[in-house]
Amino acid sequence: MTETASRDLFPGALEMMILESLRRQPAHGYALVQHIQQRSKNLLQVEEGSLYPALQRLLKARLVKAEWGVSSTNRRVRTYQITASGLRHLEQQISSFERMFEGIALVLDPTKSPAS
Amino acid sequence: MNWIPDIFRRRKVYNDLAEEMRLHIEEHAMHLMGQGMSRKEAEQTARRAFGNRTLLEERSREVWQWPTLESIWADVRYAVRQFRKSPGFTFTVLVSLALGLGANTTIFTFVNALLFLPPPVKQPSRLVEVMPRDAKASGIESFLPLSYPGYSNLRDQNHTLSGFAAFDGDPGPVSWRNSGQGTLLHGQLVSGNFFSVAGIEPFLGRAFAPDEDRAGAARPVIVVSYSFWKQQLGADRSIIGHALTLNGTSYTIVGVAPSSFTGVLIGTNPDFWAPLAMAPVFTQDAQRLTNESGFWLFGLGRLKPEASKAQAQADLTVLTRGLHRPDGDDVRDAAVYPVDLVPGPYRGYVAAFTGLLMAVVALVLVIACANAANLLLARAITRRRELAVRSSLGATRFRIVRQMLTESVLLAVAGGAAGILLTRWSIPLLLSLKPANIPLTIEAPLDWRVFSFALVLSLCVGILFGIVPAWRTPRFELMSALKDEAQLAGPRRSWLRDSIVSLQIAVCLVLLIGAGLCVRSLFNARSIDPGFSTHNVVLAQLDPESLGYSKQQQHIFYQQLLDRVRALPGIDSVSLTSSLPLGTQRLSQPATIDGFTPPPGQPGVFVQTAYVAPGFFSTMGVPILDGHDLSSIAPHPGLSQVVVNEAMAKRFWPGKNPVGQHFKIMDTAMETVGVVKTGKYRSLNEDPQPFMYRPFDYTSQAYLVAHSPSDAQAALDEISRAVRELDPNVVPTDMESIKQYMALPLFAAHTTGVLLAAFGAVALLLATIGLSGVVSYSVSQRTNEIGVRMALGADRLDVVRLILKQGMRLTLIGILCGLVLSFAATRVLSGLLYGIKPGDPVTFAAVSMFLAAVALVSCYLPARRAASVDPMKSLRAE
Repeated sequence: MTETASRDLFPGALEMMILESLRRQPAHGYALVQHIQQRSKNLLQVEEGSLYPALQRLLKARLVKAEWGVSSTNRRVRTYQITASGLRHLEQQISSFERMFEGIALVLDPTKSPAS
Repeated sequence: MNWIPDIFRRRKVYNDLAEEMRLHIEEHAMHLMGQGMSRKEAEQTARRAFGNRTLLEERSREVWQWPTLESIWADVRYAVRQFRKSPGFTFTVLVSLALGLGANTTIFTFVNALLFLPPPVKQPSRLVEVMPRDAKASGIESFLPLSYPGYSNLRDQNHTLSGFAAFDGDPGPVSWRNSGQGTLLHGQLVSGNFFSVAGIEPFLGRAFAPDEDRAGAARPVIVVSYSFWKQQLGADRSIIGHALTLNGTSYTIVGVAPSSFTGVLIGTNPDFWAPLAMAPVFTQDAQRLTNESGFWLFGLGRLKPEASKAQAQADLTVLTRGLHRPDGDDVRDAAVYPVDLVPGPYRGYVAAFTGLLMAVVALVLVIACANAANLLLARAITRRRELAVRSSLGATRFRIVRQMLTESVLLAVAGGAAGILLTRWSIPLLLSLKPANIPLTIEAPLDWRVFSFALVLSLCVGILFGIVPAWRTPRFELMSALKDEAQLAGPRRSWLRDSIVSLQIAVCLVLLIGAGLCVRSLFNARSIDPGFSTHNVVLAQLDPESLGYSKQQQHIFYQQLLDRVRALPGIDSVSLTSSLPLGTQRLSQPATIDGFTPPPGQPGVFVQTAYVAPGFFSTMGVPILDGHDLSSIAPHPGLSQVVVNEAMAKRFWPGKNPVGQHFKIMDTAMETVGVVKTGKYRSLNEDPQPFMYRPFDYTSQAYLVAHSPSDAQAALDEISRAVRELDPNVVPTDMESIKQYMALPLFAAHTTGVLLAAFGAVALLLATIGLSGVVSYSVSQRTNEIGVRMALGADRLDVVRLILKQGMRLTLIGILCGLVLSFAATRVLSGLLYGIKPGDPVTFAAVSMFLAAVALVSCYLPARRAASVDPMKSLRAE
């Protein structure tokens, strides 16, 4: 199954970014996209639609919950909110991501290795 | 389990999702419009930024689905919709596959019945069949049943079997006196432990006690079969303890076998079982249980829990070798087989014959698959647009291939189901090929093995004929397909489809040539002169000896019977013989003839022999060439008369007058009194064999032969009545006309002839469908081209020629390949053919021409349609 949109991201990266955004504040799909693009300074060119399969996965795993409402600009929106288990999951993901990132960094630049 | 509420929530989830995505794009567009874009531009930009909405929606939905299962279900529903849209295509593929798969399932049902069906015993895997085997001989000849002393020795001495039973391998007919009339029953003699070793619990009453088979402890008790109890004894539950009079002796019924148990050998469904110790009474052979060289028992052993088959084999071999002293000439090993309905030594032969049939139906299936694959290929091209749309909507290549495979597998499974329906109808048809006089009842049930075979074969076939078109389909230019450029690209001839058609023709030719050879062989076999008349003769087997008649009584019985039958209206002449030519009973006797040294260690040159009463030759229509018939009184006291056949006369007295020659059989001095024409004695395709006829002594069992120019059945009824009037207990068996009798020696030729002709016809039908399908398809693809040609002045004949040329080119390639294949393939038939060589050029040429003619006709119809194309219409259609 090819994820055309998140081809350049590692699996789970998009979910992690969504959860992190939602931890700061609940948002609807469009706002989430804007937020992620702004925060990444447009470095991550995420296809907007690819957010939705990821959101469905999170919904299914009950890491987020969704609710129809009205936005500040008076538009009908479906707002997502992170759940308690979503928060726990995010923490785990971030720490394992950091470990992985550290590992990759060490391999790429051995001079920083603490052992040497 | 989260998925249960998920199923019910799903519709809402999907609606939410769609709405959410719509709003997202809308919001983005509004945002862009706020930055000064036009509405149209903003909407387009928003949509582009969003990505493939349909695909994303599908991916999002999949999160909530059992992904593969549900999308497969969607594929199936889609496939069914596609089939409904093209019923002609679907019907043709289904019929092809149903014929191909049905033929395979039918033959497999027989293979299953003969080779795979376990005997109806408890834990068949722990049961073994035991047979002594002569390591020096080969094939079936090397196997010998057990003698009773041999059996009891193995039973008492072995260390590896928890129980060792034995049964009579060739149950003989028994006359049951039932309210004043004789009825013929089949009984099997079994050891006392037979039922306990086989693990059969009686349905009523009890099985035999182990001591009921000990010699001297013989008690006339029987266990009857369930079907006999139900049909002949009125399913009477109080029957236990009642007696039946069998061959004049009263036997007490002690039990009824369960309905599932019909014996451990295929074909022999006994009406009752009796203890081995009754054998001397049953067979009128007092030495039956003590004779060490009377081999008549099959051994059936249950392995001890710790013993393996190999251990049992080693154990029993040691014992068998001890039984036949090593200094003797007949050192034997024991062969241990898993217990099967067809006993171990015979399985090879059954497997070879059924294997040939499986190969034939496999070829039929190849043709059927080729049809299906070809139709799918043609269809795949007409579906280019649809597939292009699907792939532009985000379907991956894998997804499209899977969709195509779903369709082909679905077709194959439906074809397989239809094939099973065909099988239910074809099995009784095939069983009716078995001549009635072969005393075998074969049950060929459609059990789980047959169903699994059909299912697995269908799935494989579906994948096989689906994979080629499926793999080819996504290889097209998306844009050109969407723009419908197929028309502009001109007629695309597919080498793949062409070669599939040629392959079909080739395989079809192989089958047709095989069928042609077998059918001609059948006609040859029918026209072989067996050396006796095959018309106007009726036969009946009699065995007064088994009723305990003394020699004197038998003599009187036979003489009276001959007189009575001779006096019957519609019967010209009557005689008796100990055995029938081409029958199953064979006798050879050692002749000591001056000038001929017998092979070392043998008392004489063995010559096949029959004992016949006077009048045998005239009744059977065997011409007497020289001398005269055997007479009832020996012309020379101290000399026994003998009639020899021409082959014997030529072999032993070449150049001399064979009549009046003297020789010896064992110690009896013989004088030849006549020479008869050489016939066929063992098989229809044997070379001339020496044969001699000695005077019948009117004792033991015999065949009555009667010449009756009128209705055979009426004559048989008269004979039956005459026998009954003499003694109602004597039941004539195997009453039939000589024509019916000849079904037995012709059985193999007849079966292969009929089966191969039937499968050849199916193959021809399928190949015709395939060929005309491909030609019609190419006509429909070339409509434009034909229109242009006609507009430029081609006439109808040119068009017909154009189309025929294409079809016939494929046919000729196929026929050439088929001829080469046939030369190789028909070799396997050589053992089955009468009077025709496997590479018979006449058959090869005739069948090839026939196939070419059929192909021509099947191409002509689409060609004529092509010629009726209206050039204006076809050009305007563009």
